[in-house]
Amino acid sequence: MNSFLTRDILVKWAPLLVLLVLIVFFAAMEPRFFSVRNFARIGISSAPALMVAIGVTFIIIMGSIDLSMEGTVSVCAVLFAFAFLAMGGTLASIAWLALPLALLVGAVIGLINGLIHIRLKIPSFMASLAMGFVGTGFALLLTGGDRIRIEDEAFRALLTTRWFNFPIMVYVALLFTFIAWFIQSRTTLGRNFYAVGGGEELAHASGLNVNRVRVLGFMLAGIFYAVGALLAVGRIGIAETATGNNFMFVAITSVVVGGTALWGGIGGVWNTLIGVLIVNVINNGMVVIGLPGYVQDGVLGALVIIAVVLSTDRKSVSFVK
Amino acid sequence: MSFIKKFIEQETINRRNFLFASAAGMGSFAAAGMFGPGMARAAITDPTVAWSYRNRTNPYWNEIVSGGEAFVESLGKEKDFLTHLINEGSSEKSLADVKALLSKTNGDLALAIDTNDAPNARPVVEACVEAGAYVSTLWNKTDDLHPWDFGDNYVSHMSWSDEGPAEQTARILLDAMGGKGGVVHLGGIASNNPAIERLNGLNNALKDYPDVELLAAEPADWDTQKANQVMSAFLTRYGDEITGVHCANDTIAYGVLEALRAEGIEGMPVVSYDGNPQAVDLVAKGDILATVFTNPHWGGGITASLAYHAATGHFKPSEEPNEHREFYGPTIFITPEDATRFKADYIDNVPTYDWTDFWGPSNGQIMYN
Repeated sequence: MNSFLTRDILVKWAPLLVLLVLIVFFAAMEPRFFSVRNFARIGISSAPALMVAIGVTFIIIMGSIDLSMEGTVSVCAVLFAFAFLAMGGTLASIAWLALPLALLVGAVIGLINGLIHIRLKIPSFMASLAMGFVGTGFALLLTGGDRIRIEDEAFRALLTTRWFNFPIMVYVALLFTFIAWFIQSRTTLGRNFYAVGGGEELAHASGLNVNRVRVLGFMLAGIFYAVGALLAVGRIGIAETATGNNFMFVAITSVVVGGTALWGGIGGVWNTLIGVLIVNVINNGMVVIGLPGYVQDGVLGALVIIAVVLSTDRKSVSFVK
Repeated sequence: MSFIKKFIEQETINRRNFLFASAAGMGSFAAAGMFGPGMARAAITDPTVAWSYRNRTNPYWNEIVSGGEAFVESLGKEKDFLTHLINEGSSEKSLADVKALLSKTNGDLALAIDTNDAPNARPVVEACVEAGAYVSTLWNKTDDLHPWDFGDNYVSHMSWSDEGPAEQTARILLDAMGGKGGVVHLGGIASNNPAIERLNGLNNALKDYPDVELLAAEPADWDTQKANQVMSAFLTRYGDEITGVHCANDTIAYGVLEALRAEGIEGMPVVSYDGNPQAVDLVAKGDILATVFTNPHWGGGITASLAYHAATGHFKPSEEPNEHREFYGPTIFITPEDATRFKADYIDNVPTYDWTDFWGPSNGQIMYN
């Protein structure tokens, strides 16, 4: 019994251990890695990805998958930029309304995603992947391939203003992480995600409206993608069709590396936070220790597999598909 | 029964004659075929005009295709007259789409194409030649594939050599650094030809600046966000040692500038490439020291125009000299002094090009090493 408990605890804390080992490793290779300024840089690159990864965490906990993030992020970023500029182009004016508008857009895309998934009975994998393409296409249609610059100093303060050495966007990401944690652990909806992921038939038989939970999950994910889009625009000051690029890989990898199981029911927001940090520490650390570019992708892939092996509890799973 | 015998003999001869006749007939068809259907109908009165490219998300390809659209509009047609074949970075899709369009149009096609990678150019060209369509290629082809080996149907190939211009921007950068310090290079996708040439340009220039160290060269995949992250990591590794940044293109430079801004670093010399409108603004403001404009709008329009005018018989490619079949596209340097004028001339008012001045702005015949 005692040894079982130890294993349990180990599995629970494994992702954090992996993160610490990586930090110690990179710091030993290059002392400059271990500095507040570099942690701020890792924070900046992690913040948008963290929001997107948290969004998809809810879906993965339900045992579904959402691959629409790239399209959703692009559409939210582009519509935000258009609305923001049309309403005055500075946060000091009525243009701040573009922020909630972006979240609303994210929610609507999530709603469509969820409805396609449950009404047309298309697997979430396919429905969301298709919606992602629709999103990218729509963003392209809106911009015609152009990039929209957001120069407003107040909005760019997300990146340029620092509190205790970290830019505001890092705190915004943490705030939304707490909100996500609250939803996950303190609301019925959050607990229902686990119920659906743990055993959908059982949840259904217990009188839970599984379809409703699913649609709400996709809407929630869409809102978090929108927050990610806003932070991504804040980071580089540009909204474009390519804003959503690469978020799918980073988000899904982070969720899995953080210890949330793809078969649902296990994991959560804190796992995802650790997962995003692992992926970004690896990305940053590889450049900092001067690993040649052509090796980096391979090393990233290998490290991800190692991290998943170490940080997920696969003993309770009888088969993997 | 002799009449029966006679009948059989006659029939045999007839059949033999018929076979001879058909053989001769087939042979003459085949002989005609040797000259190719392209020869048979040298002019197509109203060919379909198509552009085959990666996708429109990328601002560079967006400019290319807008040139193609401007060209079809100059023919008095709607923008939609241009058929878009989008390969999404797949050579297989590129070739399959071309073949499908060749069947649909029965070869009445003027095709402008970037075949996505060099080896794919040959099958695309051969498919077009076989169908009697007219094709002009941009950027990708192997060194052993030449338009003049295919009569009139492989009209032209245009490319850019980036090594020289990249070397010149590097010199501007290294001079701005006072000829000393450390430079980092953020490159394109490592295997892409322009990415290799642009890094070579920097290396060539560095030979004359012994006091400047190339601290690192990393691929940033032509991507703003990736460039942003790579630059932040460079700042951790090298900190104040970095006194200049050489970017393989403008989208990379945007990410670099934002990484510098995040750290409150101002006045770092940065050079880039491509001459996108926003980069030109940044050059005018002095945030970027120099960029190189390759006029993708003109390149996209003229490539379509060459194929179209060859198809309609406006000119006969095989009568043109080799430097009109394989040539370099234009390069224009943009520095803070001329950025404003450049912007007025090329960006605020896209010039109306004479799409039958095929070679005016081009830059000489392509040379092979």
